[in-house]
Amino acid sequence: MTTLAFRLVDGLLRGAPAAGGWGAGLAVVVLGGMAYGAVMGASAGLGGDRPLQVLFSAVKVPLLLLVTTALALPSFFVMNSLLGLRADFPEAARAVAAAQAAVAVVLAALAPYTALWYATSADYHEAILFNVAMFAAASAAAQWVLRRRYAALVARDPRHRAMLRAWLGVYAFVGVQMGWVLRPFVGRPDRPVTFFRDDAWGNAYVVVLDLAWQALTRWPGWSFP
Amino acid sequence: MGGLRELDRVLRGEATDRPALARDGLAVPVGPLLRVSALLAAGYGVCMGVYGLAARAEPEVRQLLADAVKVPALFLLTLVVTFPSLYVFNALVGSRLGARELARLMAAAVAVTVAVLAGLGPIVAFFSLTTTSYAFVVLLNVAVFAVAGGFGLAFLLRTLEKLTARPAPTPAPAAETELVPAGEDEAPAAPPTPPPAPPATDVGVTAVFRVWVVLFAVVGAQMSWVLRPFIGSPTEPFTWFRPRESSFVEAVLRSFRALFAG
Repeated sequence: MTTLAFRLVDGLLRGAPAAGGWGAGLAVVVLGGMAYGAVMGASAGLGGDRPLQVLFSAVKVPLLLLVTTALALPSFFVMNSLLGLRADFPEAARAVAAAQAAVAVVLAALAPYTALWYATSADYHEAILFNVAMFAAASAAAQWVLRRRYAALVARDPRHRAMLRAWLGVYAFVGVQMGWVLRPFVGRPDRPVTFFRDDAWGNAYVVVLDLAWQALTRWPGWSFP
Repeated sequence: MGGLRELDRVLRGEATDRPALARDGLAVPVGPLLRVSALLAAGYGVCMGVYGLAARAEPEVRQLLADAVKVPALFLLTLVVTFPSLYVFNALVGSRLGARELARLMAAAVAVTVAVLAGLGPIVAFFSLTTTSYAFVVLLNVAVFAVAGGFGLAFLLRTLEKLTARPAPTPAPAAETELVPAGEDEAPAAPPTPPPAPPATDVGVTAVFRVWVVLFAVVGAQMSWVLRPFIGSPTEPFTWFRPRESSFVEAVLRSFRALFAG
C-alpha cells in the first residue's frame, strides 16, 4: 500500500503519462491537502479548542482545491468543445486533475516548514504571509506539472495554449474567492474557533477594491470627493 | 435526450465542418436545439437567482423561479424581435441562405451562446452565494453574458463564412491550366486572375450579419432591461417586473461607479 502510494506520487511528480486513476488522484488531493491543512490550523498551538481548528483546516484545504476545480470544469468543457478540442478533453481534464494532486503533494511536502515557522513565531499576520508564500510555491510547482502535461497537447494543436490560459484565469478567479469564503484557514489566536467566519460571506474582489479605493482617497495630498 | 446530442454535435463543430456543410448544408434540427437551449438557459437562470436566495434577509425563492423563466425568454424574445429583419435583409442582398437554413444557423448560434452561459453558471452561482455586493454580481453577470455572446458571435460569423463561401461549381484549377500557355506572348492582355474572390453578394451577406449581430446585442440588452429584475437588489422588495425607467447602459455604468467608489 505504501509502496503503491509512493509510486503514484513519484509518477505524478515526474510526469508519468498515466499515474493512477481518478480515485487515486482524489485520494492524493484529499490526503495531501489534509496533511497541510492540519499543520496550517495549528498556528495557535493545540491547547483548548484549537484541535478543532486543526480539523477544520484539514477539511478546508482539500475542499478549496476540489470545489474550485469542480466549479471551473463545466465552462472549461464547453470552451474546449467549441474550439474543436473535445477529442483531447479527457487528457486535458487529467492534466488539470494532476495539477490539483501536485498542489496537494507539494503543500504536504512544505508542511514541515510551516510547522517550523509556527514554532518560531507567534505573530498572526506573519503566519498568514508565510502560508500565502507556501501556497504560491505549491501553485508554481503545480503549474509546472500542468504545463508539462499540456506540452504534448499544445504540440498537437496550438489552440490548447489558449485553453491553458483560460483555465488558469478562471481557476484563479474562482480560487481567490473560494479561499476568501473558506476563511479562516489559520485562525486568529484571539478569536474562538469557527468553521466559517461570521462575516466570511463577502467578496474578495470587492474588499480589495475597497482597500485600494481607501488607500487612494486617503493618500496625503490627494483630494478625492 | 436528442437535443443534447445535437447540441454536442454543434459544439464539437461536427455539424459545421466544411465537408458536412458541402454535403448537406447546415443539418441541425431547430426544434430540439431550441428546446435544449431553453433548458440550459433556465439552468443559468437558477444560478443567477441564487443571489435572491443568499443576499436577502429572508430567501426569495420567487427570484429563482422568475430567472428560470426569464433567461430563456430573454433569448427567445430577442430572437423573435430580430429574426424577421435579418431574414428580409439577408434575402435583399441576395444571400444563398434560405429561411430554413437561416433559422438553423440562428438556433445553432443561440445554442452555443447558451451552452457557454450554462457552463459558467456554477461560477456565477458560487459568487452569488458568497457575495453581498450587488454591484459586483451585476457586473459579473454582464461579463458572463458578454463572454457567452462573444463565443456565440464567433461561431455565427465563422459558420456563416463557411456557408456562404461554399465552393462554386466551376473548379479553379481548370482556369490555371489555360492561363499558363497564354502567358507566353499575351501576358499584358491576360493578367493572371486573382484567387477566386467571394461573389459580391457574399460581402453583402457578411455585412448584414455584422450589423445584425450588433443589433442582436443591443436588442438583447434592452430586452434584459425590460425583463428585469434578474438579480434583484437586496434592499428592494421582490417584484416580477420593474417599472420603465433608465436604460441598460446607464445601469451598468452605475454599477461600475458603485463598485469602484464604494
